[in-house]
Amino acid sequence: MNLPLPSIILLLFFPGGLFLLASGLVYEWADRKLVARFQNRIGPRWFQPLADVFKLLSKEEIVPSGAIRGLFHGLPIIALASALTAALYVPLAGFNASYSFKGDLIVVFYLLSALTICIGLAGANNISRFSLIGATRTLTQIFSYEAPFLLALLGPAIATGSWNISEINAYAQENIWMILAQPIGFIVALIGLMGKLELPPFDAPEAETEIVAGALTEYSGRGLALFRIGKDVELVIGLTLISAFYLGGLANPLDFLWKTAILLLVTAGLQSLFARLRIDQTVGMWWRVGALLGLLQLLAIILGRQISPLF
Amino acid sequence: MPTQEQNQKFIVPIGPQHPALKEPGHFEFTVDGEIVTGASVRLGYVHRGIEKGTEDRTWTQNVYLLERICGICSHVHVTAYVVAVEQLAKVQVPPRAEAIRTIVAELERIHSHMLWLGVAAHEGGFDSLFMYSWRDRETVMDILETISGNRVHYSANILGGVKFDIDDQKRDFILKGLDFLEERTNHYMKVVTTDETFLGRTRDVGIMTKEQAIELGAVGPTARASGVTIDIRDSAPYSAYKTFPINVITDETGDLLARFVVRIKELLESYRLIREILDHMPEGELAVRVPRRIPAGETIHRVEAPRGELFYYVKSNGGDKPERIKVRTPSLCNWSSVINFAVGHKLADMPMILAGIDPCFSCNDRLIKIRRDNQSQVWTWEDLRLHGIEYYR
Repeated sequence: MNLPLPSIILLLFFPGGLFLLASGLVYEWADRKLVARFQNRIGPRWFQPLADVFKLLSKEEIVPSGAIRGLFHGLPIIALASALTAALYVPLAGFNASYSFKGDLIVVFYLLSALTICIGLAGANNISRFSLIGATRTLTQIFSYEAPFLLALLGPAIATGSWNISEINAYAQENIWMILAQPIGFIVALIGLMGKLELPPFDAPEAETEIVAGALTEYSGRGLALFRIGKDVELVIGLTLISAFYLGGLANPLDFLWKTAILLLVTAGLQSLFARLRIDQTVGMWWRVGALLGLLQLLAIILGRQISPLF
Repeated sequence: MPTQEQNQKFIVPIGPQHPALKEPGHFEFTVDGEIVTGASVRLGYVHRGIEKGTEDRTWTQNVYLLERICGICSHVHVTAYVVAVEQLAKVQVPPRAEAIRTIVAELERIHSHMLWLGVAAHEGGFDSLFMYSWRDRETVMDILETISGNRVHYSANILGGVKFDIDDQKRDFILKGLDFLEERTNHYMKVVTTDETFLGRTRDVGIMTKEQAIELGAVGPTARASGVTIDIRDSAPYSAYKTFPINVITDETGDLLARFVVRIKELLESYRLIREILDHMPEGELAVRVPRRIPAGETIHRVEAPRGELFYYVKSNGGDKPERIKVRTPSLCNWSSVINFAVGHKLADMPMILAGIDPCFSCNDRLIKIRRDNQSQVWTWEDLRLHGIEYYR
């Protein structure tokens, strides 16, 4: 479905900008509520993420001594901006991507990583020991999941023969769901997304019982709010990407809604199933299992593409 | 970073305020990357002067003061105290009172172990187990509330006996609750011993051998997980444990997993013991009279608290107030094991190793170290008062 809207509205209201922020908060609430229900808790009310953001925005932002002021204020903005930019290239809410060009998959991928790198830098910018350890862990984790995650997203791209997200989306709608054709890739992508968002059990970088809040320990007020919104937006983009690639594409808003909801249900279940992995266990798991599986999947796809014309 | 410039060390402070700690304590872990190379502990943030306070209160008033040493093992503190006082007064407590004391003590052990299970799981980032075990813990809290009227400070003991009876209705309520708890405990045993991610955090972490456990003076489930057969209920039975013996639960491996297994098996053992006592409840009075003035003398009494051996020393000068009461809680004995086995592990394991001994900070704070300008050995009350004003300025 195409949206006949002027680009200013595309950018600021729908599907970028405000709609993206709102859906990010809604998905955060749904995630928290689902995890809470899985853990036999009541969970937050529907407006809790929004209330959190308002509270944080109204709080004083304290810049700790020893931190570079410009970076301290700038990093959250860059993080949120890169997440919002990435959203322009994905088929958000089932509509065609606002913008697209050849190879935008790689750009989106890098924009999503920019958020994590910003969080790592924000931690390293402080002299607080919890921040520094959190930053080390964040950056260690990015090196472990990034490669398998990219491999998992490359699978559908290779099957399509295009690096354009919109084209992959269209291809996925016309062919058999790629979760059936490439089940390993789907699992790696979903778990990679959880690692990217530092959701449990991959929450070692912000393990509260060890290092308080990790890289973001010194952040309060606006900076923390921006980072949190950035993560929420990334959650929406990640779910959109995976459902567009693996769950038969996103043709209309209804498609978007139920496919991302199912993915969210699965991630929430995984979040409440496991104990937190240590950072060395995370790295070991990704490189020993994740990367190998991703490579295997890629190999199978390439072989499949070579063999299928013969029949 | 200042500390790095001084001695090239990267020290991670945990506490006095930290999300991992539910009570104030201060730990400094020297880390090299993620590996801990040194550890130190500083206690004394919640010293409350209870031992001194007992000297200004009558024997009866102290029952209520000492119950408030700990919010988790409140009953067992009073049991240790009242049994010691009964020894001094040479009073024989009726068997039914002893049975009720023991039932409450075991129910308390159940709620303490379930609380620990949740806290330890939370430290390892396994919040689902935390939430479920605490939900099920409400069952035993309900039982305690039903039989005593209180959830935390049951006030079951009085000098010479107990305050309330367990009638048939309460008995049925307890048995029903225990059936549910037993089913859930078996489930937790399965989770703890089979969940791969959780095993990855507990297996071979913080290993303490039997020799080390004895050498470092570890007590309670921490020592029993290393294969040391030490349980006051077994080695020096008191109250109803004389007639209803327990089976000491031990495990050989001495790692965190063993501490989980031992505590969960102890839950099952507690269910068995409570059922046995309820089936063979002795008849008789609930309490006997204890004189207001306790004959002069001194005595000790040891009980098995949920965390290990709890030691009471009671001295009377023949008046209506004790001359001296000394308490040593089990957490104090187990600190050295934490500090010794922290080294060489990853920083991520520290919260679990700390929680592994089930520490109870405010109970074990018996003294506070003061860096003082005043060099004299004896301080007057006025000196102490001035110091207090200066300290908090």
